[in-house]
Amino acid sequence: MICALVGNQNSGKTTLFNALTGSNQKVGNWPGVTIEKKEGTIKGTKISIVDLPGIYSLSPYTQEEEVSRKYCFEETPDLIINIIDATSLERSLYLTTQLLEMDIDVVIALNMEDILDEAGIKIDVDALSKRLGCSIVSISAKKGSGIKKLIDLISSGKYIKNQHLKIYPNDIEDVIQNNIDYFAKDQKFKRFAAVKVIEHDKEYLILENRHNKANVETLEKKYDMDGEQLIADRRYAFIQDLKTDCVKASKRPESLTDKLDRILLNKWLAIPIFIVVMAVVYMLSVGLVGGLTVNLIDMLFNGADVLELSFFQMTWSFEVNFLGLGPWLGSVIVNAGGSDWAVSLVQNGIVAGVGAVCNFIPQIIILFTCLALLETTGYMSRISFFLDRVFHKFGLSGKSLVPFILGTGCSVPAIMSCRTIEDPDEKHLSIILTPFIPCNAKLPIITLFASYFFGTSAWYVSFSLYVFAIVIILLCGVILKHLIYKGHSSTFISELPAYQSPSFSYIARDVGDKTYAFIKRAGSVILLCSVVVWFLGSFTWSMHYIDGVNYAVENSMLAGIGNAFAWVFYVMLGGNYSWAVAVSAIQGLVAKEQVVSSMTVIAGLGDSAAVSDIFASPMFSFFTPWSAYAFMVFNLFSAPCFGAISAMRKELGSFKEMLKGISFQIGLAWVLASIIGGIGWLIAL
Amino acid sequence: MNLNNKRKKLTVGEEGHLSDLRRGQKCVVLNFHNDNAALRRRLLDMGITKGVTIEIKKIAPLGDPVDICLRGYELCLRRDDMHGIDIKVVK
Repeated sequence: MICALVGNQNSGKTTLFNALTGSNQKVGNWPGVTIEKKEGTIKGTKISIVDLPGIYSLSPYTQEEEVSRKYCFEETPDLIINIIDATSLERSLYLTTQLLEMDIDVVIALNMEDILDEAGIKIDVDALSKRLGCSIVSISAKKGSGIKKLIDLISSGKYIKNQHLKIYPNDIEDVIQNNIDYFAKDQKFKRFAAVKVIEHDKEYLILENRHNKANVETLEKKYDMDGEQLIADRRYAFIQDLKTDCVKASKRPESLTDKLDRILLNKWLAIPIFIVVMAVVYMLSVGLVGGLTVNLIDMLFNGADVLELSFFQMTWSFEVNFLGLGPWLGSVIVNAGGSDWAVSLVQNGIVAGVGAVCNFIPQIIILFTCLALLETTGYMSRISFFLDRVFHKFGLSGKSLVPFILGTGCSVPAIMSCRTIEDPDEKHLSIILTPFIPCNAKLPIITLFASYFFGTSAWYVSFSLYVFAIVIILLCGVILKHLIYKGHSSTFISELPAYQSPSFSYIARDVGDKTYAFIKRAGSVILLCSVVVWFLGSFTWSMHYIDGVNYAVENSMLAGIGNAFAWVFYVMLGGNYSWAVAVSAIQGLVAKEQVVSSMTVIAGLGDSAAVSDIFASPMFSFFTPWSAYAFMVFNLFSAPCFGAISAMRKELGSFKEMLKGISFQIGLAWVLASIIGGIGWLIAL
Repeated sequence: MNLNNKRKKLTVGEEGHLSDLRRGQKCVVLNFHNDNAALRRRLLDMGITKGVTIEIKKIAPLGDPVDICLRGYELCLRRDDMHGIDIKVVK
């Protein structure tokens, strides 16, 4: 037996799904779209359950509704569990009236949270069940009450079968019956289709014929509404009637939510409060936890003599002389008689590569905890509510500010935070533009070039890059909005859910799932990419290991590839071919810090040398302030590190979309950097 | 986007667009004029049909979007999208 879980957004659907399935879940995407697909098995039974996207209707206009409709038609589940939020009963029942028109049985899970008593609403469940002709179980998804009763009812099969409730006035019911009579025998879901014909639903136009067209026109004239309006109007009229009979609502006092919104959405206080909230999130995830853990984890993987923990401007140093996983494994291999390249593979390829990504894990955990808190308490919806006006103009969502702020720390969690944006186009755009914000790892590049070439004005140069990034993001937003997403209606229809105290088990589970998914990727794709870059940089084409004595870096395959791509950097470097710059940029894919360390290695400098000596080496002596700025711009906007690329892949939903995004980023970076470098080149001529 | 300049306060009994209302005002929906089929359907689905009563509950600090109350629940809409809804003020 297969059940489908259907309900409005914010109806407690996810919570109910978790309560029904426990830990037996499988998460993926629906074919062809980035909407999450969750499947599971109901606890203690063999009944599988599919969580359909949160929807308000079965219209053909949004992806979520299309997915749900298609699923019901093509897979025809045995039962629909329709979760209804008792606090917005009318709107929820609107979907129910549509579900009952299909030939699938429906059981209603009436989600009565504690809010209901507060709001002074009493629902006569038995009367409601009789009038709708389907079984209703009252539950509290959050507290877990009523879940057992619901499971028992489903597994016993003793629920009321679909009676094809007649909700329309006789004249409309006659037209429906008439439509049904004209359908072919094998027409699926006849009543549903008959209503769709009246609505002029674009996917049912083929069922229109002379007969039913005339009938529908008569109805439209009589009610002075078009078919679509008429059906919606009659559904709500039926529900209104139902509500008068089955629901007793006393005058509700000003709720806590309204009181809180008076402050949190206050004209003058909203933005300052938001800034404080974001500052706390940023401080916790990037400042505090990031500063305290990045070097610590780096030490665990790569070893360190001195451990530096920082919290904003404060830094503490400890003498540790810790060997680290990589060097330790290296020494094990040496002792076992392994060759130099084997040591390097483990130490520089595998451990360093994965370590670079694992640095982010503590930040990700804290960040996801903060985001889950903001989301479950209901504050996140307020953020998009009051920032929508500004960001909407740039094709973005009010929630896009969250990834942009987090992006100054690290693009990986920033890109992941884009998943809170509902509109697919706005989400897409935010994911692609977030890596343009200069992240922590890009700072070493900026610091190196800015301090060497711009001396005392380095500060202004660094700052100008941030401004440049913001300007480009907004410009790209406007341009892409009009070019690519043109014609898509991005309409802001959303809800301000009531404020709630967060459910900690839900947050723990949410954070656990997301962190696990990230670690899994770090261990597979990112590991592979790091090893490939290591391999190309450590061997010559004739497979000789580059030991720095017989074979130097310029003999490596990576240098060869760098040579092949040197033309890319020709203009931005003011007319210089440089494989060394190309190689450094490619190394930046592993982690952006690698750009500087790669330059150090190529320049032939040891660990102790000052990094500014890089520009004294013949490899990099051609840099001018113009080409330095151009190269900084290129690194700022070009493809981010493998970690962020894999986050893009996950959030965009497909490899193809990710490739498009990366190509756009590299293309843009190249054009901007070439313009800057080109101007410098022309001036020098 | 010069909706703001045009917005004068509507009094009880006057007709206008949903986007013209201020916080706390109540109205009845008279009609739609909207050429965006998806948006039109979406508004219908959310219960904005002829004759329904709508109250303006909250307005975002920057003036847009707007939180409205109808059929016992609340909904946020952009002013642009509210413009296509004709109303009559009742409070």
